Amino acid sequence: MRWVCIVLPQLALDAVLRASSEPEAPLALITGTAQRRVVQAVNDAARELGLQAGQSLTTALALSRDFTQVEYDHGAIARWHQFLAAWAYSFSSQVSLRYPRALLLEIESSLALFGPWPRFEARLRSELTALGFRHRLVAAPNPVAARMLANAYDGLAVSDSQMLHEVLARMPLNRLGLDSKTASALARMGLRTVQQVLALPRHTLAKRFDAGLLLHLDTLLGQRAVALECYQPPEQFEVRIELNFDVESNQALLFPLRRLTADLAAFLAGRDSGVLGFVVHLEHVDGSRSQVDVGLLSAEREPNMLFDLARGRLERLLVQSPVRAVSLQAKDLPAFVPEHRELFDERPQQSVPWQQLRERLRARLGDEAVQGIQAHADHRPECAWQATAGSKPPLLGDSPPRPGWLLSEAQALRERAPQILAGPERIESGWWDGGDVRRDYYLLLTRSGQRVWAYRTVSQDEPGPFMVHGWFS
Amino acid sequence: MSAAYAELHCLSNFSFQRGASSATELFERAKRHGYQALAITDECTLAGTVRAWQASKDADLPLIVGSEMALEDGPRLVLLVENLTGYQHLCRLITQGRRRSEKGQYRLLREDFAAPLEGLCALWLADLAGDVNEQGAWLRSLFPHTLWLAVELHHGADDDRRLQQLLALAERLAIPAVAAGDVHMHARGRRALQDTMTAIRHHCTVAEAGLRLFANGERHLRPLETLAHLYPPALLAETLTIAARCTFTLAELKYQYPHELVPAGHTATSWLRHLTEEGMQWRWPEGIPQKATDLVERELALIAELGYESYFLTVHDIVRFARSQEILCQGRGSAANSAVCFSLGITEIDPARMNMLFERFLSKERNEPPDIDVDFEHDRREEVLQYIFTRYGRGRAALTAVASTYHGAGAVRDVGRALGLPPDQINALADCCGRWSKDGPPLDDLREAGFDPTLPELRRVLALTAELIGFPRHLSQHPGGFVISEQPLHMLVPVENAAMAERTIIQWDKDDLDLVGLLKVDILALGMLSAIRRTFDLIEHHRGRKWSLATLPAEDKTTYEMISRADTIGVFQIESRAQMAMLPRLRPNTFYDLVIQVAIVRPGPIQGDMVHPYLRRRNGEEKVSYPSDELKVVFERTLGVPLFQEQVMELAVVAAGYSRGESDELRRSMAAWKRHGGLEHHRQRLTEGMLARGYEAAFAARIFEQIKGFGSYGFPESHAASFALLTYASCWLKCHEPAAFACALINSWPMGFYSPDQLLQDARRHQIETRVVDVQASDWDCTLEFAADDPHCTGEPAIRLGLRMIKGFRQEEAERIAALRPFTSVTELIQRAGLDARARELLADAGALRSLAGHRHNARWAVAGVHEQAPLFADLPVVDEAVALPAPSVVDNVWVDYATLGTTLGPHPLSLLRGELRSRRCRSSAELKATEDGSAVRVAGLVKGRQRPQTASGVIFVTLEDEFGMVNVVVWNELGERQRRVLVGASLMQVEGKLEAKDGVQHLIAKRLVDLTPLLSGLQVGSRDFK
Repeated sequence: MRWVCIVLPQLALDAVLRASSEPEAPLALITGTAQRRVVQAVNDAARELGLQAGQSLTTALALSRDFTQVEYDHGAIARWHQFLAAWAYSFSSQVSLRYPRALLLEIESSLALFGPWPRFEARLRSELTALGFRHRLVAAPNPVAARMLANAYDGLAVSDSQMLHEVLARMPLNRLGLDSKTASALARMGLRTVQQVLALPRHTLAKRFDAGLLLHLDTLLGQRAVALECYQPPEQFEVRIELNFDVESNQALLFPLRRLTADLAAFLAGRDSGVLGFVVHLEHVDGSRSQVDVGLLSAEREPNMLFDLARGRLERLLVQSPVRAVSLQAKDLPAFVPEHRELFDERPQQSVPWQQLRERLRARLGDEAVQGIQAHADHRPECAWQATAGSKPPLLGDSPPRPGWLLSEAQALRERAPQILAGPERIESGWWDGGDVRRDYYLLLTRSGQRVWAYRTVSQDEPGPFMVHGWFS
Repeated sequence: MSAAYAELHCLSNFSFQRGASSATELFERAKRHGYQALAITDECTLAGTVRAWQASKDADLPLIVGSEMALEDGPRLVLLVENLTGYQHLCRLITQGRRRSEKGQYRLLREDFAAPLEGLCALWLADLAGDVNEQGAWLRSLFPHTLWLAVELHHGADDDRRLQQLLALAERLAIPAVAAGDVHMHARGRRALQDTMTAIRHHCTVAEAGLRLFANGERHLRPLETLAHLYPPALLAETLTIAARCTFTLAELKYQYPHELVPAGHTATSWLRHLTEEGMQWRWPEGIPQKATDLVERELALIAELGYESYFLTVHDIVRFARSQEILCQGRGSAANSAVCFSLGITEIDPARMNMLFERFLSKERNEPPDIDVDFEHDRREEVLQYIFTRYGRGRAALTAVASTYHGAGAVRDVGRALGLPPDQINALADCCGRWSKDGPPLDDLREAGFDPTLPELRRVLALTAELIGFPRHLSQHPGGFVISEQPLHMLVPVENAAMAERTIIQWDKDDLDLVGLLKVDILALGMLSAIRRTFDLIEHHRGRKWSLATLPAEDKTTYEMISRADTIGVFQIESRAQMAMLPRLRPNTFYDLVIQVAIVRPGPIQGDMVHPYLRRRNGEEKVSYPSDELKVVFERTLGVPLFQEQVMELAVVAAGYSRGESDELRRSMAAWKRHGGLEHHRQRLTEGMLARGYEAAFAARIFEQIKGFGSYGFPESHAASFALLTYASCWLKCHEPAAFACALINSWPMGFYSPDQLLQDARRHQIETRVVDVQASDWDCTLEFAADDPHCTGEPAIRLGLRMIKGFRQEEAERIAALRPFTSVTELIQRAGLDARARELLADAGALRSLAGHRHNARWAVAGVHEQAPLFADLPVVDEAVALPAPSVVDNVWVDYATLGTTLGPHPLSLLRGELRSRRCRSSAELKATEDGSAVRVAGLVKGRQRPQTASGVIFVTLEDEFGMVNVVVWNELGERQRRVLVGASLMQVEGKLEAKDGVQHLIAKRLVDLTPLLSGLQVGSRDFK
């Protein structure tokens, strides 16, 4: 009894239900193409309505409309699998994610700490239940046997190889994790249990099946060792500096901050990644914490830049009470793409690279104050460009002449009869989002010689007043 | 006073996903606003031209035929047709552009314009950003006197500047300028629809479409005052100059029948006479009855008078080819059931059997081309198609198109996508529509599906959907409508590629052809003809007796008795549940009864409420009466009840004073009213006509309702007669050669209403032995096996299942096995027949190796042990290990039989459950037969079908099957809603209810449903769900 397998029969569903305020209400996970939507999993209440996995959504809706549909999320399954592995890692240093929707734990070495087994098992179950995951759990001498027995049993603990042999012999072949081709071939030969297969001369099986079958049987019975890849907890950066004295001014925090950002930069360089954002925590004397979030627009790792950014943010923070410790945590660590530089850099000494300036402005003025601008294909002028957080250069379409300064809201033109230079250009668009406009735009010249872009709303009646929408330079 | 104007650049909705108005809408508006003419210039297509022509005649506004096109390597332009020559050049250009590209696309190159272009005017849609000097010079060289520069102003960024630039260009190149509208919709109100179509065309949402949308809604037919504001008067006046040149109309098209069918020294008339007389000798070898001679003479005279000889010769030639290849065929349609067609072999209906039909053969008054559809064996229709292509060449023969139009579900899907609704919502909306509904989703259904129809988003979707429904969406291939012409077809109409390789279609659909007077022959495929042909072949092969459709004994009493018992599983047309329920009441005993039987169980007569009056009259429960003596002639053969389309038309003539031509127009309106409306003026006309002739208003109203009921579903007598012939033939075969017929049906599958499993069960109920699939005995097809002591094959044979029954088995392998038989061992079989792992496993699992390897478990073990051997060791004896494998149980066998063969020759699954069912007090279908009307009963059976007939509101018909036969269950709406889960989900269902038995027809009216599926534990049984 060295290995435990925890099977999570409804991982995807549990992931949704544990976040739901009404886990008892009928719920179905839906997947499939837009043309053919299929029910992937259902909870008990939905099963009561007659829903079942594999049904088309159309059939399910024919049975009942009274259930919640949630999109089946492959990403969530992987995340929760990782999450549970991290949880299991606290019980065993050998955790394997080899099988989907299942965890394998080596427990021999953990039994001393958490054992004996019944107590250990109870603890695993209670924690899983508290976390909100249904499970089946089997302990066996080898990981593959533990996994396969968990298909048919829950709570079984196989202590030795003789017992393993007995239990496995009774196992139905279709629960054994064989590939479907082998499984159906065995079934079509009238073979139902492991025992029946083991009773056949080995060479007759070898002749009829590829090596995988005997290999699998041997592994199950523990006659052949299996190599498992073990789970490694994810890498992230977290360093905490405890200060020797209570710090009350921002200035005094700059020193530890410079250390932390430098460490971060070194760490990033070591794993050849950059950072998209990090968090600085200040731990105060009174036990409270302040948090400073630092976000970047692209992955960076230049120490001075990281420090500048963090400083900019920190300087805007009012330190309420003395600080005892500072920590820095960085999780968002994408690969770093270095900037291309000329061999002979021609930039004058004083100038700052654009990215650095941008980040400095953002740090000083706030994220919302600095924005990119992007052309957006829409006939309505007010929709034709948009602020974006991205820093890509604006894509300019093949658009008619537009003023450089567009007012966010049009204002009535004070002048009575301005001179019309061009127009009307008629714009009728936007009905689909409720913002339909129908306007005739004119290029006008005011008495003071300004060139105005103004419109009149198209209507059956008298033309309305000119509304100034922008100014040409 | 506004300027006079003709619009020369206008798209209709046949520029798919571009034009947002129909030709009718465009013409009506253009007329209302005082336009002088309207050109319909759909993009590289003339598919909408016939409709535009019709709309132009209706609106009394001249149509200019034209087309807009973009050259791959050059300018965009609009070509307008001056005269017939120009029309032919345009057709050629479009054909070239379309044939070069895949379905729905075109590619035009400058080299295409090297051919003559006279008779065409060109409007140049200059792109000022392009190389205008070069393009202008090139165009001027092509159209030295008929080139104009189109000036199109739509309140763009700076129209004044644009106008000046264009005028300057015109002057520089010495090309006259003309005003045009680039019209995409009839009125500004279609702006949203036009934007939506743009998004659909670009496969994106409207919001994503961005600048691909037009900036405004100016591309509509603008009032003349507006145009006068925009354009200099000279530019507007120039439109009239062009319009005056372009006077071509489709009426000038002259279609000619192919001529090569008439040998030298003959005229079409004399050759048709010659062939007919030859055919009469063949049809009546014992002497031609006088009646037939008279009929033929009358028909020939009529054909000659109307000039339709070539049409009959063309059809004859196709049928002659089929006959020479032993391909069974049968014509239908009004002209098909004539003595001439019988003599020419186009139909197999002997006029002696049906003399009442020939009066409506062709008529002088009805100026309508003859219409003959010919059904061919399903499997071999392609040979006929290829013959036609080869005989006339691809230039002269092509399939007609079908302009597929938007139905509710499709429209709401496309609109939903364009407005960015999530896929789930789009599906749900489409489900609310019903697949073929011509309307948008009903509001109540929407609310039930959880939508709020008052939300602006949804209202937009619904409004746009309503506008889009009925719009043409794309051209596809007609199932079999052929156009054959003396001249190359592209001189009549552009030809383009169909989705199927090696198929070409013309750009007009069936209705268009009628208006232009083109000849069309429908070459259709019919599975039953394949089955009948196979039955004939089996009988000939075994019994040496050669039957044909024409020689089967007519009016056979035992056949009619079988039909009256509703013992008709597998036969043509009268095998459905509704038909079978009708048979014991109608009890057909003549051929004409069958004609009625075929026509009566159809939505038309059912919705028109004609079925029950007819039944009552036939059974003597109601007096047969006629509103007048004139109508007695029309309705006598159907006991005073209008059942056929022809009768309605006749009625309009006799009782309402229609002329033949008008009654034919009524027929067209009937077929189209659901789509386009337009029956109302007939209501008035019919009612007035009938009142004037002394009929009662109530009678007139009823007749009109019946006509509406007929609408899209009305069934013509001439088609019913041709179908009835095949019904009779299949019934005769089922009655007298049941084994051969069942065998042929299975070999022709998929077809008809029943699965091979059901056909085999039916055969066994008729005491026909069925034998298992076995490599030592089975061919690919199912075969007949006669007893060893029956060398002349006089007894009733057994059916040996073919290897085709094994799901997934390949024909080539089956044929190798059949050719190399017999085998002494599995190893020998596998090696000699060269079977791969898949094939041998299929054989083992299906139980086809039992004579070589025993039960299927042993067989599977045996085939798995056979390996490809190197030739060197081929002689070595194969040592096979004897192992003890468990034998499959009876239930196992049933399970695997269904999984591999779709049927079982072992016990019916329900017989295995009979003990359990008896303890639940369920009766079998056999016991039910002896149960009285009105009894409360409980039955159980496999659910073989769930049908929700359109004609019955909300009721669902469930067919249950047990080891003795079928039980028809009626589930009313209310119960169906309450027990929906069982109704939809159960494979094995127990039904409690009340038995209704009348005239030998039994229905079980369900009161409670119970799902017994768990009893089956894994048995796979297919059901025909809601088809």
